Amino acid sequence: RMEASCLELALEGERLCKAGDCRAGVSFFEAAVQVGTEDLKTLSAIYSQLGNAYFYLHEYAKALEYHHHDLTLARTIGDLLGEAKASGNLGNTLKVLGNFEEAIVCCQRHLDISRELNDKVGEARALYNLGNVYHSKGKKVASAGTHDPGELPDDVKNALQKAANYYEENLTIVTELGDRAAQGRAFGNLGNTHYLLGNFRRAVLAHEQRLLIAKEFGDRSAERRAYSNLGNAYIFLGEFETASVYYKRTLQLARQLKDRAVEAQACYSLGNTYTLLQDYEKAIEYHLKHLVIARELNDKIGEGRACWSLGNAYTALGSHDQAMHFAERHLEISREVGDRSGELTARLNLSDLQMVLGLSYSTNTSMMSESHVVDKSLNGTRPRVGRRHSMENMELMKLTPEKVQNWS
Amino acid sequence: SQPSAGHQAGELQSKGVPSKQILHSDNMEMEPETMETKSVTDYFSKLHMGSLVYSCTSKRKHK
Repeated sequence: RMEASCLELALEGERLCKAGDCRAGVSFFEAAVQVGTEDLKTLSAIYSQLGNAYFYLHEYAKALEYHHHDLTLARTIGDLLGEAKASGNLGNTLKVLGNFEEAIVCCQRHLDISRELNDKVGEARALYNLGNVYHSKGKKVASAGTHDPGELPDDVKNALQKAANYYEENLTIVTELGDRAAQGRAFGNLGNTHYLLGNFRRAVLAHEQRLLIAKEFGDRSAERRAYSNLGNAYIFLGEFETASVYYKRTLQLARQLKDRAVEAQACYSLGNTYTLLQDYEKAIEYHLKHLVIARELNDKIGEGRACWSLGNAYTALGSHDQAMHFAERHLEISREVGDRSGELTARLNLSDLQMVLGLSYSTNTSMMSESHVVDKSLNGTRPRVGRRHSMENMELMKLTPEKVQNWS
Repeated sequence: SQPSAGHQAGELQSKGVPSKQILHSDNMEMEPETMETKSVTDYFSKLHMGSLVYSCTSKRKHK
């Protein structure tokens, strides 16, 4: 009787998770564990599904716990395929938690067993997971620095190159197997890896393949991802017009899919792209759209970014009052969210703008000397020391209106 | 000169903030993870099948 009850609860958990209600599914699986069973394979399946449900709910500590139980159990009962699966799931969870070295060990175990069992599908999946771990590892280290894609320290480059190799290996197998969906995933992440490595042409080629497969499946989320990634790659190829076309498609799909956060990101990307195209009116139009959504979503960091971008765009147009308004708002938000570097940038922008406005009202040099005092007090802590002195050498000058040039 | 194109792209817009923050602010779109799945029904049906097969063969043996 107890056996049947555990099974019934677990079956209901499975049904709920399949229907997309992981939260309710978890309750049933946990109840099933409470009741207990002597059938260890059933228990292993319950642990595995609990782990996955918690993974999808972003409760990774719990996911780790259950996948670990599953692995121990699979080993105890000598279920090799079960051990491979548990290792893979544990690896993915460790990756999300940032424990890359252990994640690699687990994913490698998944790969080794799959090869031992001559399980091609499992082998391909393990290769994809390994690619993902090395990609995350590379990206994590890369994001700590302030460099652009393509300018990477050796350890980052090595990790990303390994990721690319694993994705390529995966692609060979899934192509043989004719698994188009898996090909789509591998192309997408391979493209992103090439992007980080600075191989922008190869990134474009991979994302074009991803796009093709997404269309085959009518998978609009994947299609949107491909457009966005293509836009990013074209920015770094210096082809801003093409980038703007892809970002617009991203925006279109984001609206169709009713994803406000993605819509905001697309507007922000478009604002930046039009800035690069030196079309500041359009840049402002998109940054304002981004601002509206950021406020709606109560995304303070996004709002700060929008204000900063708007301040720059209005400065470029010579609309100093509006620039001032957004620079002040940027300062306020930076303080609110405790963004020190944002706060310093906003202060610098404000002091620059105050000086420009001061100069446009009179030729009195008192504003200048005041501003020099501000500069001295900020020296050493500002994000770019000596920025003003090197300004004439920078492309930035092309942005600044005549008035600003007069002052220096 | 691909990276320098990107660098320039960042510099154009940047005002005291590294270009990285502006252009690709974590907006790279990754594909989803694939998790390995186990199912109670798989094991249950195998278990059931197993015992059925067992009972059939043992019946046959008895005969």
